[in-house]
Amino acid sequence: MANVRRDPVLLELLKNGLTAIADEMAVTIVRTARSFVIKESLDFSTGLMDSDGALIAQGLCLPLHMGSFPPTMRAILDDYGDDIRPGDVFACNDPYLGGGTHLPDIYVFKPVFYGDQLLGYAAAIGHQTDIGGRVAGGNACDNTEIFQEGVRIPPLKIFENDKPSEIFFKLMRTNVRVPQKVLGDINSQIAACRRGERGFLELVERYGFENLKAQMKDLLDYSEELTRAELSSLPDGEWEFEDFMDDDGFDPDPIRLHCKLTKKKDEILIDFRESSKQVKGSINMTEGFSKSAAYACIRSVMDPSIPNNDGFFRPIKFLSEPGNFLHCTFPAPVAARGVSAMRTTEVVWGALAQMLPHKVFACGVQGDFGVTIFGYDTDNKPFISLEFLFSSWGGRPTKDGIEGVSSLAVNYANTPIEVIERENPIRIERYGFRPDTGGAGKFRGGLGIIRDYRLTGVEEANLLIRSDRQKFQPYGLQNGKPGAFAGNVMNPDTEETYVPPSKHMLTLKRGDVYRALLAGAGGWGDPKERDPESVLDDVLNEKVSLAGAKDDYAVVIDGATWTVDVDATKKLRS
Amino acid sequence: MQTVGVDVGGTFTDISVVDEDGKLSILKVLSTPNDFSEAICSGIEQEIQTGNLAQNQVSSVVHAATVATNAIITRTGSKVGLITTEGFRDILEIGRLRYPRLYDMEWEKPAPLVPRYLRREVKERVDYAGNVVTPVDKGSIAIAAQSLVDFGVDSIAIVLINSYANPVHEEIIQDYIAREFPAINISASYKVLPEVKEYERTSTTVINAYVKPAIEHYLTNLEGKLKSIGIEAPIMVMQSSGGTVQSKTAKEHAVHSIESGPAAGVVGAAMFGKQLGISNLISFDMGGTTAKTCLIEDGEPRHTSEYEVGGGISIGHRLLKGGGYLLRVPAIDLAEIGAGGGSIAWIDRGGAMRVGPHSAGADPGPACYLRGGTEPTVTDANVVLGYLNSKYLVGGELPIDGDLAVSVLKKKIAEPLNLSIEDAAFGIHTIVNANMVRAVRAVSTEIGRDPRDFTLFAFGGSGPVHAGSLADEAKIAQVIIPPAPGVFSSLGLLFTTVEHQYVQTFWRDTDTAELSELARIFQRIQDEASETLRSEGFKPEEMEFQRFVDLRYPGQTSELSIPVPSGVIDKQVVTNLVEEFNKEHEKSYGFRSEEEEIVEFVNLRLRGRGLADNNFTPSKFVTGASKGKTKQDDAQADRRVYFGSKIGWITSPVLQRGHLSQENISGPLVIEEYDTTVVVGPNMYVRTDDANNIRLTLV
Repeated sequence: MANVRRDPVLLELLKNGLTAIADEMAVTIVRTARSFVIKESLDFSTGLMDSDGALIAQGLCLPLHMGSFPPTMRAILDDYGDDIRPGDVFACNDPYLGGGTHLPDIYVFKPVFYGDQLLGYAAAIGHQTDIGGRVAGGNACDNTEIFQEGVRIPPLKIFENDKPSEIFFKLMRTNVRVPQKVLGDINSQIAACRRGERGFLELVERYGFENLKAQMKDLLDYSEELTRAELSSLPDGEWEFEDFMDDDGFDPDPIRLHCKLTKKKDEILIDFRESSKQVKGSINMTEGFSKSAAYACIRSVMDPSIPNNDGFFRPIKFLSEPGNFLHCTFPAPVAARGVSAMRTTEVVWGALAQMLPHKVFACGVQGDFGVTIFGYDTDNKPFISLEFLFSSWGGRPTKDGIEGVSSLAVNYANTPIEVIERENPIRIERYGFRPDTGGAGKFRGGLGIIRDYRLTGVEEANLLIRSDRQKFQPYGLQNGKPGAFAGNVMNPDTEETYVPPSKHMLTLKRGDVYRALLAGAGGWGDPKERDPESVLDDVLNEKVSLAGAKDDYAVVIDGATWTVDVDATKKLRS
Repeated sequence: MQTVGVDVGGTFTDISVVDEDGKLSILKVLSTPNDFSEAICSGIEQEIQTGNLAQNQVSSVVHAATVATNAIITRTGSKVGLITTEGFRDILEIGRLRYPRLYDMEWEKPAPLVPRYLRREVKERVDYAGNVVTPVDKGSIAIAAQSLVDFGVDSIAIVLINSYANPVHEEIIQDYIAREFPAINISASYKVLPEVKEYERTSTTVINAYVKPAIEHYLTNLEGKLKSIGIEAPIMVMQSSGGTVQSKTAKEHAVHSIESGPAAGVVGAAMFGKQLGISNLISFDMGGTTAKTCLIEDGEPRHTSEYEVGGGISIGHRLLKGGGYLLRVPAIDLAEIGAGGGSIAWIDRGGAMRVGPHSAGADPGPACYLRGGTEPTVTDANVVLGYLNSKYLVGGELPIDGDLAVSVLKKKIAEPLNLSIEDAAFGIHTIVNANMVRAVRAVSTEIGRDPRDFTLFAFGGSGPVHAGSLADEAKIAQVIIPPAPGVFSSLGLLFTTVEHQYVQTFWRDTDTAELSELARIFQRIQDEASETLRSEGFKPEEMEFQRFVDLRYPGQTSELSIPVPSGVIDKQVVTNLVEEFNKEHEKSYGFRSEEEEIVEFVNLRLRGRGLADNNFTPSKFVTGASKGKTKQDDAQADRRVYFGSKIGWITSPVLQRGHLSQENISGPLVIEEYDTTVVVGPNMYVRTDDANNIRLTLV
């Protein structure tokens, strides 16, 4: 089994050493960033590249960023390949010129030199709170072209000889709504790259330049070998899965996402070509981001100790079609593509679930909702409250779906209600589970979540809703039922109540309430096989109603004694 | 006078006794998990019988208890009900949504300590500024409380939205329950943690409610038992912050006594450092399954404002939260990784050598322990390398078989990798050191401290074996190994100080904050602290208060605590505090805000200490007659020791601490002690100091 040509001790030391550097870079960002989305939702990643630009280590941050560095690194090398010098820092965010995925994600790269020899790059992606453009927060779903979405940064040298580019920073400061936060976060990314550079150079001191370069190459081969060995142990075959998004906010037609997964020997092929064409609204996926989504899903069914580097990508191949929803072309808008990325992971997991039916969970509810409330407070200072809402995981082959958890693709936190209320003219009036919304199954899907926002401190503000799952429910697996639909409600329980569209911007007046109703996650397995005691437990905890127990699970509960009526249940289930 | 330290662990209870002359006795007895006080009392009685302890000489019994941690991990705390604001019943269960293991579909979220049916809502609302938006509805209080009582709860937590800004509604609910249901134990969040962030406050208050009855019962029982064997001295209970409180205070503020055991060693390290005039240390505690580090700067261990219980060990824990039960209380900031003497070495599918995270633990333990272990461990590697005695450990009480270490290492590691047996063993030693360096860096470089500016203070059963090579790896030049390093944590208990910590959120811009309001709040919490200290028997002149402000730039989610000088806090003082904050920010995070940003106050903190004269600190420890075998008993005076392929095997002397003097002698050599072994590499010097510590200097 063992590959005797490599140095088994040095490889392990180096692997740990490089991962430790990437993690320390991540810690630097968490500690120094200004914005909640980076600090608490970890919407950033750190990485080290070798001198060819191949990813050799990635920090413990956002799973969906798996695979995000290579296309941006490529763009920088294409533009600056022969003009990369000590003291440089590069940045980009543009999906079409820079390999980015949407404009709020700014990528920073710092080349690392040992003397005058290029060793590699330290890099950091950070999701910015604002990037200019027509809607604060950079996540509008109703843009129709990339130009509306904010500042486009092609590959740019933003530091030369360790001196910041005045043009870049002045331009950024002028074009974003919260320059302190955005420039603060870019600074924190740069600080992380400097930390990465120091760590990288310490490795050179210890192991020598040539030796380190050779060992880094071997580390990529090692990851590739581990990945291929793992893939070889999975069944061969071809599986397809499709799911739909409600609409793009302009055209009422649903959007089809389709994945054909072919596994042969030690390689996987993901074919996205049968998905819908790109759409008018700004939820299109770049080719790179579609790949990232697939990498994250495949990673979740593999040995967790395989290092996150370029070697992992090598046995995974893709087919996609330019102009397709999952491979959009210029000038398609992409700002709110997060919701589409979630759906992409759901079709890839759906395909993987057929290959590995006893490993993969039913459909979860991951970030379908993006809620932005923005405007100017009484001192004419801008405020932006930007939240992505998550609820639960789908039922799993051996246990229920987790309730109240972020997506396995993005490890987002929710924002403390008391912090939102201190910093914005908003009151959160409800945040909790929605009973009877989890997909029924032998293992139940997690419940959906409800969240109410009331505008309190100003006369009016803008509300941007980016939501989905109002026409297509999160799927169940192995005869498990789908989770409940999502929904939007304005001013619930009043005479002025109405249902806004799933992707929509509107004006909130003081006192208005917006209610987000997140979908429930899908169930796994036949609900009639669910242990009646688990159903009773759900009923006691008011997660499933008495009627739900009977209708969805065929379990009869005696409401007087709070026990399972065993005979009646047996009868109902037979 | 004598001080007694009692460190209760899951397997062993360590009892240490020290008198004013520094005469020290340490006894290890098996713990009695059904009633931990049995082992404590039988151990103390043993010490009385052997003449090491005299009942009437005992000034205090300092105790680190695991009872609260166990209650949480085994889910055996109280049946707790939770009362929340209408609309927020699920705050506790939803938590912060984060999960600790990326890409892991199998992860299970810890079940909430209060299930949904025991969480009840009350109609009320206060806004962020403390204004009442909806007055509390008395009828809904009655319904909520009655239903919880009907369900048989014995403890109720009350946590309302924004109660940190105005506790009036929590007070009303608390008074109602106290009046109507006097048998119910109450934990209100405005008392437990008047700090912003509803989930963190809820989780902490619920944990308090969950463990409080258990801690009360445990301490009351222990007090009675100790009295019955003639110990009348007060019981002091270790806190996660490293200070102690009297048992009656610990019963009230249960949430501070969780995970207090590991703090003791760090406090001991800080105190030893102070005596030696060395105020910057990194403590390093390595046992059978884990290694822990902590930064001690200017004599004070570094603190964190929150941690999780029962979340497992991961060096990524600083980023990846959600694995355990969150407690937002001050705690000594430990970095912990799964690396210990029992960590198992293995080869992965790609042909790389790996060490851990699996551990052979104490049972079966390393292969050489003769208890049926069949996997090569770090300890086996250390035996092969000659770092550890190949015939026995623990002064002869634990016979081992070095040949077993050789054969298992050969079969499982050396042959498959085509390495020599010594290079395989050295690989294991090096890899585990590299893993532990991450724990050193986590408490130093990650917060802008250079490990080279610190001295490594090593203890735990495996700590001194690895201390020299770890220091070398981390570029640390000085190492201190205290007396009785294998049981040093228990020794640390003898150096603790009575300490109480308070917090109150005061979220204002520093330039416009009403300073009289700030002064009023500080005065209020100081009055509270001095009242507690007074009730513990301290006179005003024995009390020491230190105020802190937590400051941040707008939008940041973590704050830095800056100490406030004594005296009136005026505009100039605030300006100085902001400047201190900017400096500390630059030191910790590499930059300060370039813009004219308004720094924000977030929390006001106060630490009250009781400094009593019974808190004696001996200048030197004298351990009793050496237990077990001595060097003279054994013919093996020298042995071959391996220091890597470049240096190779060197025949090295095997000594005991008593053989060393204050003159440096050059390595390589090995110092065998009853409870551990110190390895001195060829690039190191070793001596002892006035306090009988072993000191290594790396060149």
